[in-house]
Amino acid sequence: MGRLIRSSIVSIVLALMVFIALTPILWTVLGSFKRLKDIITPVPKLFFSPTLENFATILQNPSIRQGLGRSVVVVGASVIIGAVLGVPAAYSLARHVRALKDDMQFFVLSLRFMPPVAIAIPFIVLYLDLGLYDTLTGLILVYLVTTISTVIWLSVPAFERVPKEIEEAAAMEGCGPGEIFLKFALPIAMPSLFGALVFTFVLVWNELLLALTLAAGNATLPVVAASITSLGKEVPWGVINASTVILVIPPLVFIGLLMSFINGMMKPARR
Amino acid sequence: MNNRRFLFWTLTPGFAVVAILALISIAGALYFSLMDRSLRYPDYHFAGLYNYQRLLSDRRFINALQISAIWEIVTVVGALVVATLLSVLIFETVKSFWLRNLICFAFLAPVLLPRVAAAFIWRFLYSPSLGLINYIVGLTGFGPVEFLADPSLALFSVAVVDIWQWGLFFTVIMLKLLETLPKDPIEAAQLDHAKTWEIHAYVTLPMLKAPIISLALVKAVESLRSFDLIYVMTGGGPGTATETLDLYAYQAGINLGGRISYASAMSILLLVLTTIVFTLIWRGIRKWAV
Repeated sequence: MGRLIRSSIVSIVLALMVFIALTPILWTVLGSFKRLKDIITPVPKLFFSPTLENFATILQNPSIRQGLGRSVVVVGASVIIGAVLGVPAAYSLARHVRALKDDMQFFVLSLRFMPPVAIAIPFIVLYLDLGLYDTLTGLILVYLVTTISTVIWLSVPAFERVPKEIEEAAAMEGCGPGEIFLKFALPIAMPSLFGALVFTFVLVWNELLLALTLAAGNATLPVVAASITSLGKEVPWGVINASTVILVIPPLVFIGLLMSFINGMMKPARR
Repeated sequence: MNNRRFLFWTLTPGFAVVAILALISIAGALYFSLMDRSLRYPDYHFAGLYNYQRLLSDRRFINALQISAIWEIVTVVGALVVATLLSVLIFETVKSFWLRNLICFAFLAPVLLPRVAAAFIWRFLYSPSLGLINYIVGLTGFGPVEFLADPSLALFSVAVVDIWQWGLFFTVIMLKLLETLPKDPIEAAQLDHAKTWEIHAYVTLPMLKAPIISLALVKAVESLRSFDLIYVMTGGGPGTATETLDLYAYQAGINLGGRISYASAMSILLLVLTTIVFTLIWRGIRKWAV
């Protein structure tokens, strides 16, 4: 009997936690289909006649459409450049560097310690002088710090997991280091590398402070979303919910990938 | 020979770009912190340590320092406590593979949300007049709670959102870590009639000491980037009750009159402080965890 009570308490706690994890998100999705009169009610409404008005408002709003486009350009470019420069560096770090490896890895990690304001303020002045202020190029350049360092940091363990014997065998066959990297190490490490890139994508997709300070005139999606509260006199909760949903969709698509990335990282390294 | 060239061409471009950009921002911040530059006037002069001296007697700065420290401690400890309790609970009670995966999926969703989106979602939930949370609070008979407008509650209300994102994410990671542990020590402890909580407190969690410390470090670093969450939810208010250092630096350097030099001095102090603290912790961990 006591056991039955205990197991049902456990089930209730777990169900409650899943509820807490998901309800805020689902409630927002629900809110994005509500008219304002269905939102401003003393008792929260679970059933109502849904409307697409909010999404129509948003998609017709040029600043949000442009924000979406700019986000895609900025995040795409900085992640791709970050991968092109970061992945080979991570491979060399994992396989060929001995003495300085720990220090170089710590350097990459220490870039994350830098407060974003400390990056933003000098770059405001510099960009004003260079004419890069409020440009996407400037923003991409600053994002490279985040993307390159994160890609290196997460890719080193991915390459360390590639069985050494394969690379040694390839070297015996007379393959150069570049060939071993491209033909053997890269394809084998690809699944974990993809996870690292997705993580990097989510980091810059969500970034607000640098975008707000360096390119407010060419606002990316988070900046546009953050400014919606002040659209009119009445707080347009339905529209806010809808824009939140749009902002949330791209990262949430990757949830399955993140899961398999975590599973892969947790497997003991093969030696 | 070929090997060296490969090494050079793979390592140099990435590290050079990152190092140059980091150097520009640090050197730039250091340079401006010694000047009296503001965005309002084009000319500026050398001011020595004036900005730093003013910071030390700036009560708003001291307040921001305290808020940042409280924020760091609450979010790091909160996320780890939530993760430890929940992961052990799931590890012990949910044996079905599918159910476990389903719970993990649910727990991963919050951390993927952009901070701006998470902030809006919870601002909506916290709203005193139309929020879901205040409706539930109202059912128990208490009046609407001003979660974000009450100075003594605001910081913790925002911290709850951060723990909602990171605590549940770390739960998934800790659960996976528990699954990778060898079974023998646990079975040995069971033979000794150890209680379940004793097994975890004395056997499994100590075995996971090193990864848990790295999780704490990662969380501490990420907690420094709280700007987006606080900016959208409270904007630092009410008053300065949730104004962390990065928020104050943003307000001083960009929003209010653009006192670039003053904000630079602030970010240099912040940089020095975090670098010292984290380097010490990093070195300490490596000695201790081995």
